[in-house]
Amino acid sequence: MKPEFVFYLLVFPGLLFTSVLGLLIGWVDRKVTARFTYRVGPPLFQNFNDFFKLLGKETIIVKEGVHSLFIVAPFIAFGVMVLISAIIGTALFYQYDLGADIIVVMYLLMIYSVMIILGGASTGNVYSSVGAGREIKLLLADELAFILICLVPIIKSGYQIKLDSILMAQVTNGAFIGSFSGLIAFIIGILCIQAKMALTPFSIPEAETELVEGPLMEYSGPPLAFWKLNQLMMYVAFPFLLILLFWGGFELIGIGILWAVLKYLSIVVLMIIIKNTNPRIRIDTALHFFWKIATPLAFIAIILAVFGY
Amino acid sequence: MVYNNLLLLIFIPLAAGIINIILPRVIAKLSAVVSLCINFYLIYLVYLGDNAPFAFFDTLILSFSQMGFFSLIFIQLLSFIILFFSLKGVESSIEKMFFILYPLTVAFCNGVVLSNHVFSFLIFWGLSGLTLYLFGLLGKTKEAPKTAKKTFIIIGGSDALLIMGFVIIWLLKGTTSWSIFELKTALDNPASIIALTFLLIAAFAKAGGFPFHTWVPDFALDAPIESAAFLPASLDKLLGIYLLTLMVTILFEIGLLVNMIIISLGTLTVITAVMMAMNQHNGKKLLGYHAVSQVGYMIMGIGSGSALAFAGGLFHLVNHTIYKSDLFLTLGSVEKQTKTAELDNLGGLGKKMPITFVMALIGALSISGIPPFNGFFSKWMIYQGLIEKAALLQPVYQLWLLVCIILAVFGSALTLASFMKFLHAIYLGRRPKIYDDVKEAPINQWLATSALSLLCIGFGIFALRFPLSKIIFPAIESNGIIVPEFLGLYIPQLIVMLFLIGFIVGMGIYLFTKKVRYDEVYLGGSEPLEKFRVAGTEFYNEIRNMKPLKTIYDMAEKKYFDIYEMGSKSTFALSRVLQKGHPGQLQLYILYIIIGLLVFIALI
Repeated sequence: MKPEFVFYLLVFPGLLFTSVLGLLIGWVDRKVTARFTYRVGPPLFQNFNDFFKLLGKETIIVKEGVHSLFIVAPFIAFGVMVLISAIIGTALFYQYDLGADIIVVMYLLMIYSVMIILGGASTGNVYSSVGAGREIKLLLADELAFILICLVPIIKSGYQIKLDSILMAQVTNGAFIGSFSGLIAFIIGILCIQAKMALTPFSIPEAETELVEGPLMEYSGPPLAFWKLNQLMMYVAFPFLLILLFWGGFELIGIGILWAVLKYLSIVVLMIIIKNTNPRIRIDTALHFFWKIATPLAFIAIILAVFGY
Repeated sequence: MVYNNLLLLIFIPLAAGIINIILPRVIAKLSAVVSLCINFYLIYLVYLGDNAPFAFFDTLILSFSQMGFFSLIFIQLLSFIILFFSLKGVESSIEKMFFILYPLTVAFCNGVVLSNHVFSFLIFWGLSGLTLYLFGLLGKTKEAPKTAKKTFIIIGGSDALLIMGFVIIWLLKGTTSWSIFELKTALDNPASIIALTFLLIAAFAKAGGFPFHTWVPDFALDAPIESAAFLPASLDKLLGIYLLTLMVTILFEIGLLVNMIIISLGTLTVITAVMMAMNQHNGKKLLGYHAVSQVGYMIMGIGSGSALAFAGGLFHLVNHTIYKSDLFLTLGSVEKQTKTAELDNLGGLGKKMPITFVMALIGALSISGIPPFNGFFSKWMIYQGLIEKAALLQPVYQLWLLVCIILAVFGSALTLASFMKFLHAIYLGRRPKIYDDVKEAPINQWLATSALSLLCIGFGIFALRFPLSKIIFPAIESNGIIVPEFLGLYIPQLIVMLFLIGFIVGMGIYLFTKKVRYDEVYLGGSEPLEKFRVAGTEFYNEIRNMKPLKTIYDMAEKKYFDIYEMGSKSTFALSRVLQKGHPGQLQLYILYIIIGLLVFIALI
């Protein structure tokens, strides 16, 4: 292991960068959401205050639950999120593969859901169990479409699965989003990450109004702070993944910096708009949507990609 | 008798099994353990090069091959660990028989993988099927004899086809040699295709590939759970896939279309079995269906014709035997403590059986292909091999293969879902009151499962350093296949290190700031009543009731896709028709005889 890997992991583009940017984007989310409902919204550093405040609170542990799993789950999820953002970030910013390709990233992403389910269900709370069941169904719903859209850049780059090779293929031949297949896959990709982040209309596992945050219900203090941080870090990792796979990455020289910021913000704001203009759907509707509408569309994208469109 | 290591590898467990008939139970256990220990030493000698073939009247019977050696190692390893688990806890009424059959099975399986001669191969193959049947008979459930019969008919029937397949190959080849390694046939005429089909059926039936898999879930449900971990989960997989490997490397020259058909059958196996597993309410049956679905990945890898996927398929075989026996054994521990494997009744045992829980968790994550565990590495190799192959194909074939890849990747998400339900139903959620006094499993049981879990982690993180480079790659290269460079990039050690740094930073912040209070579960003021308990088995009802899956599930539950049930039903229907022609009238029988005679004369 080279020493600069620790820098990639802990400072840029890993832990520090992703969490600070995530907390800031969390502010954008809250501000835009507030404007949608004619509220003023919180100040810029509100998410930081919330995070540190939670660190000072006490952790309430359910007597009957599996304590160690309950405590460890959010931190395993945190470790995985840091790892994923470091892998995606180094590919984007340094064109360097940090020991993982696209298949590894796809499988690593599942660990997050696993931890939500294990951590939530370890308490024995009935709401958490129902939420855990929904979480895994939601994973099943979006995973099929997600696999398909991840295959599109693989096919278009001439069957490369390394992240930097996919990026290089776009640098030489133009971004995949410029082709029919890439565009379709990109649009479905946004919906997939909406579901993977459990944002409305797919906020089914945590459904505040009926399940009271579902799997996170029994969490408090630092573990809850880390769950919230994990969710905000996804606001960075997932859009970056889409930019890496479809939108030709970043070119961080001159005007390119502005483009990079615009690319990223446009995806995030689009997600926030979807979040605020849709009601939450039921889990069977979500399954129906992903398996019967999104998946066939994504498969059309694959067919187009195979024939070179 | 001349001293010969290969012969001793078969003879020692065989002798142990036979003398166990007269030995008292405790010594019988000891003799089984000792025989396996001796086998380990013999394997070591063979590894050092003392591997002279065994001939009987100048006919080569047993010989050393890298592929056989590979299977041999894992047969002994798995047998040893499962034997260790079984030392305490096998039901006392069947214990005697269990320790007779156990070494015998090891001997027969060793015989299969060491055979050079077709006859000895077939004899050992058939005998291993027989012990499987006898193990099935040891089951205590009401359905056990029926299941054992079903197993015997599927395995025995496929044995007959296997024999016919070998005879066809031998006739086509036109040699006098019966050595397995000298029968290579091109697939250029209908007879050789029939032979391939017959052998494929035999391999699929043994390993549990679609559509000859139906005995596996039933066997898992009804037979003693140790034998379910021992045979369908590990040894039968090793044998079935060994035959498949022989077929694609030594027996046949296989073209693209056959590759694609085998890959498609593998995909079908993965997806149908995992969809069935998701909706099971019995833990043993759920694991049984997964024992089928994972075979699909091996079939895909080995039948694909890509060197990388082939290596991945073999590695997946090894990994599967490890994590699936781990899962079966942890469930066995739970069943022995709680007297049930019904998922609806269990729950919340994670606190009472923490070690078993952790081992089951590791097994579950491995089978779902979560990095850095071993299941991921082999799946990753298979996907790469298939992607690499897709790059070289025509667009239509490309799409065909891509559909298979998509379904296989999705299969592992479904596996994950199925195991989240499994873990939730047994170890998480709220614990029913009756299990308040449950204790952790006895030491021999959790030591065995810990050993398997350690292998899951070790083979996952150090995949390239040990199992692949030392055992699997040599086995493949002995068949003249060179394993190419990986297409992708996955460095498990680095990933684990980086993950651990992130995890420790998070944990450090928690430990630095933590203030802990213990409290009851929060339900907004309601009582935690028993009727509000979520078992987890109902997680996938939405999927179960979705169109058009509902129709398929309903049909599957009526056993419309069970080749055995369909076969027996059609046999009975046919015999009913024939019965109508037997009314017991002498005149009619005379008429039959005359008609038969006329037909006979006409034919001549």
